[in-house]
Amino acid sequence: MFNIPKEKEVPLGCITPAPVTEQPMMITGNWREYRPVIDQEKCNLCMNCIVYCPDACWQLNEAEDEPVWNAKYCKGCLICVNECTSGALTKAYELDFADGVVRLEKPF
Amino acid sequence: MAKEMVMSGLAAAAQAAKMAKVEVACSYPIRPYTALMMELAKMVANGELDCEFIHGEGEHAQLSVVLGAAAAGARALTGSSGVGVTYAFETYSPIAGGRVPLQMLIADRALDPPGDFGSEHTDVMSARDQGWIMGWAEHPQEAFDNCLINYRVGEDHRVLLPQFVCQDGYFVSHIPGKVVLPDQSQVDEFLPPYKLPHPLDPKHPVSHGPQIRPDQGTIMDLQRAQAMLDTPAVIKEAITDFNRIFGRKYSPFVEEYMTDGAEMVFFLQGAHTMTARHAVRHLREKGVKIGLVKLRFVRPWPTDDVASVLSKFKAVGVVETSTSYGGAMRGGNLLHEVRASLYDCPQRPLTTSFMAGLGGEMVPLKEFYWMAEVMSNALKAGKMKKNVYWVGFEDE
Repeated sequence: MFNIPKEKEVPLGCITPAPVTEQPMMITGNWREYRPVIDQEKCNLCMNCIVYCPDACWQLNEAEDEPVWNAKYCKGCLICVNECTSGALTKAYELDFADGVVRLEKPF
Repeated sequence: MAKEMVMSGLAAAAQAAKMAKVEVACSYPIRPYTALMMELAKMVANGELDCEFIHGEGEHAQLSVVLGAAAAGARALTGSSGVGVTYAFETYSPIAGGRVPLQMLIADRALDPPGDFGSEHTDVMSARDQGWIMGWAEHPQEAFDNCLINYRVGEDHRVLLPQFVCQDGYFVSHIPGKVVLPDQSQVDEFLPPYKLPHPLDPKHPVSHGPQIRPDQGTIMDLQRAQAMLDTPAVIKEAITDFNRIFGRKYSPFVEEYMTDGAEMVFFLQGAHTMTARHAVRHLREKGVKIGLVKLRFVRPWPTDDVASVLSKFKAVGVVETSTSYGGAMRGGNLLHEVRASLYDCPQRPLTTSFMAGLGGEMVPLKEFYWMAEVMSNALKAGKMKKNVYWVGFEDE
């Protein structure tokens, strides 16, 4: 038998429970090179970011009337920046942030 | 009552699939395997088999259909030949990695170019490292038996791997032979109903084949490697039960024929074993100390069995029936595995590849006699002149 560290365990055949809103085993946020940054003052709530994000990483906070970004799963494709109608979304280099993804810590 | 009939390898495999109560079959025509699906379609049309019979639009689709069916909990069967086998190549790793134990019947056909209908093992041997169980039948009876044995082994929860159940095109697939069809009760005793531990089920939803991180990929590979390591013990159990229930005398991995007192052996798999048996018998009558060792599973490769059996002899001639262009031995695939298996043995036989049975050509008796002569001369000289002989095309 092999020794597999607990944090690296994968279920048999990688078959995981579904449906789930977030899959903790399949975090893709560390793929990011650039991240989208939102200026809530400029946002006109056109909802394009929410509609166009292929990974549902923009959600509307209805209480605050604000799009909320999901850093755990955003791969940094920047489709949202491209589709933004008000100029509220801009791209910023990931490593300019204190919590920026440092890829070398993990294999990817 | 069990009854004896004469039928081709594909008709025999279809009978086995029927007795295994296959629930989903997916077809796409390519010769020679097509006759399997013709037989199954007839059974479904006649109401003899309660099976969802689906026409795929290609081999990739065939494999995708049976993957879905088997993942949802149905015992599934598909099949192909030659370039059909390679067209579906992308699907092989996900099926094995996802641990879905469906079965694919292979009736070998040479790969292009150009179109060649003959049998050669290279088509599916190209897929030998994807995590599928794999082995060849020598005759229709073994084709029938291997269908049941492979379902039983692959579906075992210690294994959960798909299976390539192979037979040589035409030589086995189309030439009729004697087949004993057992009672349904015997098959039911041997083969329990298909039960996946993680089926697609609306009441307990699961995701199959999600995106994973590269560091999780290692673990996925490791799971498959472990399953392959666990498979030989399950094969041994299954063969013991099979022999008991059906009154057969299979060895799990390697079968010896006339090896008592043999100094040299042919080592091969599949249809040409039949001719080789006759060659061995005739050579024995002339006093040549030769025997035969037949391989029943290429994956998992039976390293220990091959080592302990082949190390008893002084020379081993591996009859390849597949190609490995530019490989370490410059011949076929089997000699690589044979030599690797023998490496740790204190006594190693002389070994060589005999390239024969390629493109679907016959391997007649006189070629086996020639191979035996090469081995005899090597024994006298104390060394094998070449690692590979293209039989019929070069002098010793």
